[in-house]
Amino acid sequence: MRMLPSSLLLMAALAVTASLPAQNVALVAEHLYTMDTGARGGPGMVLIRNGKIEDVRQGANLQPPEGYQVIRGAYITPGLIDSDTTTGISGAYNIAADQDQEESTDPNTADVNVRDSLNPEDLLYQYVNTYGVTTLQVAPGPGNPIAGRAGIFKTAGPQSPFRTVDSLVVRLNSAMVFNLGETPKEIYGKSHKAPVTRMKTAEMIRNALLEAQQYQAKWDKWKKDGSDLSKQPTIELKTAALADVVSGKTPAIFNAYRADDIDTAIRLGTEFHLQYMLASVAEGYLIRDKIKQAGVPCLVGAVMQPFESLETSNATYENAALLQQAGIPISIMTGYEAYVPKSRVLLFEAAVAAANGLGMEQALRAITVSPAKILGIDDRVGSLSKGKDGDVVVFDGDPFEYTSHVQQVLVQGAVTFSRPRP
Amino acid sequence: MQKSKAVLVVLLVVGGGLVSLAAAQSTHDQSVLVVQGAQILPISGPPIAQGVLIVKGGKIVAIGAAGKVEIPAGAKIEDATGKIIMPGIVDSHSHIGIDANPTVADSQDANESSGPVQPALRALDAIDPMDPNIRMANAGGITTANIMPGSGNVMGGQTAYVKLRGATIEQMLIPGTIGGMKMANGTNPKGYGARGQAPMTRMEEAALARGIFEKAQQYKAKWDAYTKAVAAGDKTAKEPDRDLGLEAVVQVLDGKRVVHNHTHRADDVMTVLRLADEFHYRVVVHHGTESCEVADELAKRHIGVSYTVVDSPGGKPEAIHLSITCPARLEKAGVKVAFNTDDPITNSRLLLRSAALAVRGGMSEDAALKGLTIYPAEMLDLESRVGSLEVGKDADFIVLSGAPLSVYTHVLETWIEGEKVFDRSNPVDLRYATGGFQVISRYPQSQVGAQ
Repeated sequence: MRMLPSSLLLMAALAVTASLPAQNVALVAEHLYTMDTGARGGPGMVLIRNGKIEDVRQGANLQPPEGYQVIRGAYITPGLIDSDTTTGISGAYNIAADQDQEESTDPNTADVNVRDSLNPEDLLYQYVNTYGVTTLQVAPGPGNPIAGRAGIFKTAGPQSPFRTVDSLVVRLNSAMVFNLGETPKEIYGKSHKAPVTRMKTAEMIRNALLEAQQYQAKWDKWKKDGSDLSKQPTIELKTAALADVVSGKTPAIFNAYRADDIDTAIRLGTEFHLQYMLASVAEGYLIRDKIKQAGVPCLVGAVMQPFESLETSNATYENAALLQQAGIPISIMTGYEAYVPKSRVLLFEAAVAAANGLGMEQALRAITVSPAKILGIDDRVGSLSKGKDGDVVVFDGDPFEYTSHVQQVLVQGAVTFSRPRP
Repeated sequence: MQKSKAVLVVLLVVGGGLVSLAAAQSTHDQSVLVVQGAQILPISGPPIAQGVLIVKGGKIVAIGAAGKVEIPAGAKIEDATGKIIMPGIVDSHSHIGIDANPTVADSQDANESSGPVQPALRALDAIDPMDPNIRMANAGGITTANIMPGSGNVMGGQTAYVKLRGATIEQMLIPGTIGGMKMANGTNPKGYGARGQAPMTRMEEAALARGIFEKAQQYKAKWDAYTKAVAAGDKTAKEPDRDLGLEAVVQVLDGKRVVHNHTHRADDVMTVLRLADEFHYRVVVHHGTESCEVADELAKRHIGVSYTVVDSPGGKPEAIHLSITCPARLEKAGVKVAFNTDDPITNSRLLLRSAALAVRGGMSEDAALKGLTIYPAEMLDLESRVGSLEVGKDADFIVLSGAPLSVYTHVLETWIEGEKVFDRSNPVDLRYATGGFQVISRYPQSQVGAQ
């Protein structure tokens, strides 16, 4: 009981920290990229008040208003969005103590939620902020056919005060993650447990979704019949989570590399009328017509990974460009890394795409407004326009040039990273 | 019958390879190639704005500014106007060919995890010249590589100094070289500990290393005594038994074979230096994640670092302090830094990028370019052959579409000893640069990124 007041005090202090009005900031750019219909590389200024964008002005020699902290930069863009990553739940040390992305005790872990693994104090969670990532969708690892629920969060940078996971939430249950291809087979197959084959992975997912449909129907009927508590169906957490997927409340992410696995994902998505996205898609370019026809967005996986599996051996630096040119909505994602480096840098992955057919502006779209739209969070993030979150990155040169630097990162108007003076 | 025929064919092919190695040395194209119009970065001197590079017999026979170099009559002229030419990149730490693509168990031959001390192993016996990673390295501008056993053993085996061309290892090996000796300390050799075998600790790693060098010293003394006795006419002198592993370690003690030592933490770097001091051998620090913390110790011993730039810190505790500022700190302390791929850890198409990221971390562009060329050449004792564009050196060079350290620059051509081994305008070569070389026939027709 004596602990209670102090912990309440701590919670109150945190609540105050989280809701402290951020300083008013004026960001003045030589090259402003708002990523909406506004500035495309001309000079301009972004004003942030109380964490939100108050105004965006275009033109040279703009005078910042009185009382605003002024930050000047060569290139200014919206905060970057990593549309699918394990950063934050797959820690930097890569030892059992900090690996919380892979609940490989059961191929169906639909009931788990990344929120309960996320560690905002992890070195890599802060590291990605120093490279401009302000929003990320954290997804469970690639091992389980039904891996659990992803969530969308703001990042915390080195200069962020202590942040609780809940203070960083943009959206919980943003997606249910399904993994196809090699990894589930590897994890379970080696101890002769299901799935050993791709057939079984697909069967397990179909069965679980079918069960979820039946579960949903049972609950719908119970509600329709008057919600008599004595007749209430048993609550099954995994099935309930999947019922949200089959009823369209939670979108699905199918993580697939090989073209035939992508095809399997489309087959499953079509059969169960899911709202879904494709992730990783190393061979997406080989099946882009089918993806386009299915109308599914692609979260395009990292391409600088080693060729450590057969399913990534046809990866190409042009994947993002080829998918984008086919008219498929794309974003770039970093995914999961098992060894060194333990996290991919979204900015670097987009840079490779930029230099391999996608071009600078489209590559920037693929890590800002495009993922915001695909994930349905474009009312808050992804572009610099009035009323949106004050999430901004300041660069001293072309954002994608290897030798440029991220000078400042702001999340909701607060500077989370400022480059140390060299 | 059919089987023995096949064996015969294989023997002929292998034998043919060996024969053609000798032939290759003497039958370099003796016609004259002139590459002109590009800005040339010779590395050994200032950039040449409108450069001319003249190649004959696989060697550079002239280099200089347009108008200052005589163009021989009848020479084949390559126009490179608007391009940038620099020396072929030297990768001082790679596992291409030995950890072949794709990375599945069948093609993994870098770590002989049956024992932690393996000086008799030769990387050259496990390198697959057909590994597509080698073509990808060409696409990244790499012409010379030190292909090494892995870091799972305290002493992993003999490394191979190769040019990235040819269908046999004999055609790849650089004549007159014997390679280095791979060593490792820190986390990776402790892999044995998980199986209840030695080494389980860093102490034991160092003890195993000292043990093999002590043995090699004794072995050397025995052979020296025998040689001396024979020279003095002693007909009763008994020839000592040969030991393939100790022979290679003696080459380390004799300074003929450089130790390439995988190491991350600063204290592990110091263990490397302690052993090298004790047994007086030449060593290059590889990875050197925390080497900048002991940069002065390296500088005063004139020991260089072959650094691996990776995108984020961690992946294992000993790499938790990794930073792109480390190469700059080493440079400031006077330590020569080379960049390596450690392929497959970083891809061989992206070694220019590693140097560029070091510049982002504060390194000078001059040191970064030397770190791709002449410094790694020095670390492999190959500086008289490769690493800069000078008369008499091998005609290993790359043609770039723009500034070497820009993300938007592509390697357009890679030349080894006057022969083009990569050409981005060739549709097949292009797919080694972008990826997708196994599915060329199905690769979408769009020409994105072709140039």
